[in-house]
Amino acid sequence: MTEQTPLLRLDNITRNFGAIEALRGVSFDISRGEVVALLGDNGAGKSTLVKIISGGLEATSGRMIFDGEERMFNSPAEAKAAGIETVYQDLSLCTNVDVVANFFMGREIVKRYFGIPVLQEKAMYDAVEKAITNAGTRIPSLRTNVEHLSGGQRQAIELNRFVHWGGKLVLLDEPFAALGVEQTRRGLEMIKRVAAQGIGVVVITHIMAQAFQVADRMVVIRQGKVAGDVRRDDTSPDEVIRMITGEAMIGRAQEKKPPLHA
Amino acid sequence: MISSRQRALVEFLLDNLVWLMLIVVLAVFSLTIPNYFQIGIFANIIEQSTFVGVMAIGLAIVVIAGNMDLSIESTAALSAMITGILFASHGIGIGFTTTPSWLVLPLSLGIALFVGAIIGALNGFLVVKLKMNAFIVTLAAYIWVRGLVVAISGGRSAQDLAPEIRFMAIKTFLYIPYIAWVAILCFAVFTFIMRKMPFGRHITMIGGNAVATFRAGIRVDRLVAISFVLAGAISGLAGWLLAIRTSGATANLGVGMLFNAFAAVVIGGVSLKGGIGQLPGVYAGVLLIYSIHTAINLMGLPAHYTQMILGGMVLAAVLLDTAKLQIRQKLA
Repeated sequence: MTEQTPLLRLDNITRNFGAIEALRGVSFDISRGEVVALLGDNGAGKSTLVKIISGGLEATSGRMIFDGEERMFNSPAEAKAAGIETVYQDLSLCTNVDVVANFFMGREIVKRYFGIPVLQEKAMYDAVEKAITNAGTRIPSLRTNVEHLSGGQRQAIELNRFVHWGGKLVLLDEPFAALGVEQTRRGLEMIKRVAAQGIGVVVITHIMAQAFQVADRMVVIRQGKVAGDVRRDDTSPDEVIRMITGEAMIGRAQEKKPPLHA
Repeated sequence: MISSRQRALVEFLLDNLVWLMLIVVLAVFSLTIPNYFQIGIFANIIEQSTFVGVMAIGLAIVVIAGNMDLSIESTAALSAMITGILFASHGIGIGFTTTPSWLVLPLSLGIALFVGAIIGALNGFLVVKLKMNAFIVTLAAYIWVRGLVVAISGGRSAQDLAPEIRFMAIKTFLYIPYIAWVAILCFAVFTFIMRKMPFGRHITMIGGNAVATFRAGIRVDRLVAISFVLAGAISGLAGWLLAIRTSGATANLGVGMLFNAFAAVVIGGVSLKGGIGQLPGVYAGVLLIYSIHTAINLMGLPAHYTQMILGGMVLAAVLLDTAKLQIRQKLA
């Protein structure tokens, strides 16, 4: 990995929900082309963190430096415009429209006639067909409404969508929850391919094997703080699990041991 | 399992069920009711469908976006009354004229649209910014805007619009008066907007899953607000047409049209859950309602029967909506 300015630097990000401190000062870096697995127990604050990076939620305090500039995204639209793609745990598909419409959601190809934007269905259909075929996903008809598709097919659409749009940073929140073995393998390959293009990838996952298969680095969040930030080659699944459960507060953790609550 | 072609056929029938119903109803009436089958009757059905038809466009767009607008009828009445007061020459009308005289047509239209858009914008503001329930906000508007109509008119009426406006209701093209062509044109334009433009696509997707569209970077709040403004402006247009048709306005103009528009939207296949519905279907729904209206008139039955039939049809349409959903789920 080259030593350059990181793609994304999180600096002491906090987030409170009323009296609850969901994030209590999270700091770490992500480089271009790097795959970071974000690990942690339920309620550790992983999803909150992803939402803050992707503009879905505002941080209570802290700084975020993206692509060399200090940024805080006020909406997913802003984050997207800056080049951050997000795949959420609960799928972000509109089941009442077809596959093509979902693929191009918010970024439809239009042609202007006298200033009036008109959807270019053929061009969009062709682009989706190409992307889906390249990824080896089988969907009976791209004109079917998504409500008729299986959970795996829906997730495949989401994954193909982010691969297609790329950007600079991709956030994946439990992307393989509904996928079968073969589709998961393809998904992991997809992540590597995306990273090879120089895109930073953050994957939230519960499954240690997946994290070790795909990630260059593991960042463990525990009780709203970074409990461990280690390179894959320097650690083992057992060690990571100990970080997640808090059995070991090892020296490689970035932060000092959090103060004990009374 | 059934083949994808069979599925496409069933889906097509489900999507266009209301047109099928319209054809069947017209055929049955033509065969059983004397004097039903003539050009004049059909032209009359289309003319009667003008006002509720135009209103139903705005209502359908708001409902497809996953909301509700009960204020359309009163908004139309307000636009009609303001058109009447400004441009009618008798009653409470102040008979405002322009030079050149034809200018009253675009001017009155502009004012009517503007009045409607303001009511819509207020509804949109309350729903989007203050996060109030759309049903309650627009129910309140339904009541207070009608109150405003009565207040500014003092309960009296305005009569006699200038001939430069009136001709719209008198002159015909292919047996159909110009005002009805305005309604048909509106359906064509908004069908295009909903099907072929990003705005329509986004509105439909918001009705399907607002969270997903927000995450995809679509400005959901802005579009929902626009849908209310549009519904208001379209209602303003309906009011303007209504004022032209009656050559003025009365304080109770258009009372009861909301329920007709609502029935048309539901019968036309727009799901109240949002995200589903086609505007041509809504127009077919309006035509269906007025076909039945006309049949009852021709048979000499009291008008109350229309209401009973309409009520029954709304129930049937909602039932159908549920049934269609189940059929679709079985197909999947």
